[in-house]
Amino acid sequence: MNRTLLAAVAAMALAAVPAFAADPIAIGIPVGLSGANSVVAPSVVQAAELAVDEINAAGGVLGRKLVLDVADDGSGAVGAQRAFDSLIYQKKVNVLISMETSAARNAGLPAVNRSRTPYIYTSFYEGHSCSPNMYVDAWVPEQQVPPIVDDFMAQYHAKKFFLIGSDYAFGRGMLGFTRHYIEKKGGRIVGEEYLAMDGTDWTPILSKLRSSGADALITSTAGGAPNVTLTKQLRAAGINLPYGNLAVDEGTAKSMGKDATGIFISASYVTGINSPENKAFLAAMAKKFGADLKTPNDLSVPEYEAVYLYKLAVEKAGSTDPKKVLTELGTVSFKGPRGVIRMNVQHHAPLTMYLGQVQDDGSVKVIRSFSDVDPGAQCPHLK
Amino acid sequence: MTLVLDIVTTAAILFAVSAGLLVVFGVMKIINFAHGAFITLGAYAGLLVTQAGLSPWLGLPLAFIAGAACGAVVERIVVRPLYTRALDAILATWGLGIIIGQLLTLGFGREVQFVQSPITGTLTVFGEAYSAYRLFLVLAALAVGGGFALLLEGTRLGLNTRAVIMNEDLARGLGIDSVRVRFITFALGSGLAGLAGALITPLSSVDPAMGVPWLLNAFMLVIVSGASLLTLALATLLLGGAQVLVSTLVSPILGGLTIVVLAAIVLRLRPAGFAR
Amino acid sequence: MKRMAAAALAGALVVAIAPFVLDGYTANVLVRSLLFGVLALSVDLLWGFTGFLTFGQSAFFGVGAYAYALTATQLGVDGFLLPVSLLLGLLAPAVLALLQGWLSFYHRATPLYASVVSLVVPVVVTQVLYSGGTFTGSSSGLTGYDMPDLSVPQWLWLCGGLLVLLTAAAAVFVRSDAGRLLVALRDNEMRCAFLGIPTTRLRIGLLIAMAAVAGLAGWLYAAYSGVVAPELAGFDLGTQAVIWVALGGRGTLVGPVLGAIGIDLTSAYLSGSLPFLWRLLVGLAFILVIVLLPQGLFPAIGRLILHRRRAAPVAPPALVPAATATARARGEALAVSDVARHFGALPVLSGVSLRAAAGELLSLVGPNGAGKTTLIRCLSDGTERSGGTVHILGQRLGSLPPHRCVALGLGRKFQTANVFDSLTVAECLRIARATIDRPSPWRRAGTLALPDAAMEVVQATGLDRLLGEEARLLAHGQKQALELAMVLALDPALVLLDEPTAGLTRSERLQIGGILRRLAQDHGMCLLLVEHDLDFVREISTRMVVLHQGRMVLDGTVEEVAASDLVRTIYAGEPH
Repeated sequence: MNRTLLAAVAAMALAAVPAFAADPIAIGIPVGLSGANSVVAPSVVQAAELAVDEINAAGGVLGRKLVLDVADDGSGAVGAQRAFDSLIYQKKVNVLISMETSAARNAGLPAVNRSRTPYIYTSFYEGHSCSPNMYVDAWVPEQQVPPIVDDFMAQYHAKKFFLIGSDYAFGRGMLGFTRHYIEKKGGRIVGEEYLAMDGTDWTPILSKLRSSGADALITSTAGGAPNVTLTKQLRAAGINLPYGNLAVDEGTAKSMGKDATGIFISASYVTGINSPENKAFLAAMAKKFGADLKTPNDLSVPEYEAVYLYKLAVEKAGSTDPKKVLTELGTVSFKGPRGVIRMNVQHHAPLTMYLGQVQDDGSVKVIRSFSDVDPGAQCPHLK
Repeated sequence: MTLVLDIVTTAAILFAVSAGLLVVFGVMKIINFAHGAFITLGAYAGLLVTQAGLSPWLGLPLAFIAGAACGAVVERIVVRPLYTRALDAILATWGLGIIIGQLLTLGFGREVQFVQSPITGTLTVFGEAYSAYRLFLVLAALAVGGGFALLLEGTRLGLNTRAVIMNEDLARGLGIDSVRVRFITFALGSGLAGLAGALITPLSSVDPAMGVPWLLNAFMLVIVSGASLLTLALATLLLGGAQVLVSTLVSPILGGLTIVVLAAIVLRLRPAGFAR
Repeated sequence: MKRMAAAALAGALVVAIAPFVLDGYTANVLVRSLLFGVLALSVDLLWGFTGFLTFGQSAFFGVGAYAYALTATQLGVDGFLLPVSLLLGLLAPAVLALLQGWLSFYHRATPLYASVVSLVVPVVVTQVLYSGGTFTGSSSGLTGYDMPDLSVPQWLWLCGGLLVLLTAAAAVFVRSDAGRLLVALRDNEMRCAFLGIPTTRLRIGLLIAMAAVAGLAGWLYAAYSGVVAPELAGFDLGTQAVIWVALGGRGTLVGPVLGAIGIDLTSAYLSGSLPFLWRLLVGLAFILVIVLLPQGLFPAIGRLILHRRRAAPVAPPALVPAATATARARGEALAVSDVARHFGALPVLSGVSLRAAAGELLSLVGPNGAGKTTLIRCLSDGTERSGGTVHILGQRLGSLPPHRCVALGLGRKFQTANVFDSLTVAECLRIARATIDRPSPWRRAGTLALPDAAMEVVQATGLDRLLGEEARLLAHGQKQALELAMVLALDPALVLLDEPTAGLTRSERLQIGGILRRLAQDHGMCLLLVEHDLDFVREISTRMVVLHQGRMVLDGTVEEVAASDLVRTIYAGEPH
């Protein structure tokens, strides 16, 4: 009993080594602890916690300590309004850094704009969400789709594509761009089908797919159950086309077992990235969270990097003044696990993208990488 | 040809999912809104079997037992006081569904998880390769329907149950313990929901909210069917068929709404639904 | 009334000072909670008062919200466009409600079916919003549109004021004479229909009004928060509204409003830290309340804290004679020709033909299962019979629903006493007069006009001394008398009575018998009476008809029929 107490006191003493002068800088994290995003949310929070610990251990930002304020947004609009209001007006945070559903992001934006709070959105999304107060450090369709389509056309001589998605903004946005891109490249769409967001019976769509004569399949469903059921039913129906999945991540692929084998994914982060920054990051995560570690992924790593980007912007601005910070967020760059990140293209970031394929053991093997893929014209009226 | 197989297998799945709800509605005249949660419960029973590395077939009886046991407790504590308040019973069982869902979330986490399928691969039927497991589900649905027919027609309990369905007051007058019949019925219905959960998971995945999307369709099918398994089979074939046709020929999104909308309209025009 | 005014005043006061004592965040969240309170109020009027359990009010909330968001994104909301948008926010939900009402409510629809449809509506609306592409913003919803330039305190006053106003208006309405109709609908819809009240239209009308109220709340929600998403129209919000109402106390208006605000505010503070546990607790509380405390927390707490008894009963109105229509025509009251009724292949009635004139007291006798009650049904509900024609006072019955049959001049008294249990005697009688004396939607009239016949029944049976008594507390004979008085309150020319003396004592029976005879003789009504008791029938009837195995076998004077061998044979096994 005494020993654990001692250990706890010692740990607290260690954690409190750097002495901080002024008030802490508060980072608000509105995130879907419950609802659709609740599976991935813990990994996002962990990534933010690591970044904050590292920065504080190195003396904080302008001598001020960073603290986190996490609020549940229920993965939806109503909860997000509450979470944003609570963080902005009640907790009075200096910045918001988080991954969210598009509905939650949209729901939060009015409060962000009204209060002029800097906001870094760290989730890949369907693109074209613009606010002078918001920066994005994750990918958009213009960055994610071309590697898969190009590869299918080059390696499998695919001409006829079949697209399947969930009926929501992300699903339709991604496939809308995919269709546009394939047609621009001289390919043909032989089917584009959507199922309601909570739908899990893909049978009629698979029957259509089978009779369409498609060379390749690209899907963009809601995460979790729809994505998994589609893959399982696809395999049960014995369909073995080249299959690019725009919505699957490493963790899900691993848990799907052998059904996921052969799926192509395109991401800005995979755990197998062979860089000193990534290795150091993974080691630090493993050390900090031990058995509780949630595997870092394409949604949590941008969170980690965004905290650093904010730190650099504050340091360059010399204060947490929102206006100055917002100017500097577009100029600073940080070399993180995904490489060098700079949100200098219309508030979005050029990224290195990786094309991977799921192996028999569930791991993702990187087939090719494409450096500095441009996000394209996301917000032409923002500089 | 695929279309016909799609229709038959879809109907089979719908039948398996709705049968438990129908049994409860037929005897007790209440709608069990915790049905979706019992389906989820059965799916998690299947998950436990997979996690323990046992044969996936074991998941089916275990799911039935889990559902039935939970149903028995629920009947005793929540449903029994609400016999005469049918609409309140809907509400209370709905609240129960929330509770079971949250408990499963606390126990198993929100992640989407996977159950091993007892049958994999495809079979060739009429020259088409078709998912073997979906074909198996047709057999399973027939077994559920057949088993119930046997139970109702061939046993003392079945006789009592039919008596309670027809005229509860009279049955009680004849010395039938209708409270016991209701108790067993609810447990059986919940068990069937659990079984259905274990049956559908190899096609999909396991998560704490998985049962809810099934609930509305099952609910509409049961209301349209009245209190007979035969009309339920008919309803699943007709409405499930319509769903597949709309999904294939028009749009899968509209297909998802087909059953609820058609059922509502059928009931508007013909309040007895498919029952005579 | 005084207490109500005090409550409204207190509510207004709280709203007025709220912005000065609350911190910014709470005020911010409270505006939304207040709008959810309006939503809960609409659910309470439908469920708590008329017994229609609806999961679908969220659909109207959502449609109202999108009405604002869509006008703001497509047209803008400057100048005259703002009222246009508001109008859309009220009208679009109303139109949807009309559709839902048409689906849900029709003659012989079950409450369960209406609840089923209420589940379907939000599912369909949500799906439409998802499929709307950039127009509705699909799953992401719409944001970034123009919002009215109001500060948070102004919003608080606006929404709080609206909520207090609507709650007070609802409270005045449900206590008014017209408002009692809602409770009558909940208690006994069939009785309402057979009093000539267009129950279907009433229910649809109320649903439309409540859809507009929910739509208004949604419209304000969108204008205030600057964002809409499909979940605002979803089934989840709809069921949540039901939970607020159940926990707060259905049928109390204030309870559901407080329930909505309380739960929504608490969840704003708690759900962030304990998202799953919070939902678990709400679910648990919900079940406990449904099973153990169906009337909800608000009434229970009210009783506990204030030890308050039921509100002092409102003084019952004074009875006054109603202006009876013109002198009754002495012609043919009922003409039935070749009426048949079968269930599937099973005939219950066939070839029944019958005529009766004003002033006649015709008794219908026959053993159990002869089809007597079925015949009464076929005469009072045009949708019942399978063949043949029926004329009432020379007008074709056609396939009219009950309330239209009643309008032809028909009254029907059921076999078991059919009254409105939770209404007082005076209220029951006023409901019965509703189609003639339009009840006021905002006050209680001080007088109650009854035609002579009804007045006579009320006075003869002592009901006039029990006007303030709730109907469920009456003795059996008094209930029968009350129902008879309710039927007579419409001053019908033809009265169908199904065993009006069942379960009555000998003296009560004599009393009723005397009244019936006078109705025919003095008031010139035509009475068709179903009876078992041959002695009773013999005493009062002017003519008798015998029904046996679904066919008419005898039609003659009392003496002829009573003396016939057939009747003796039929009744040989009967107790009388």
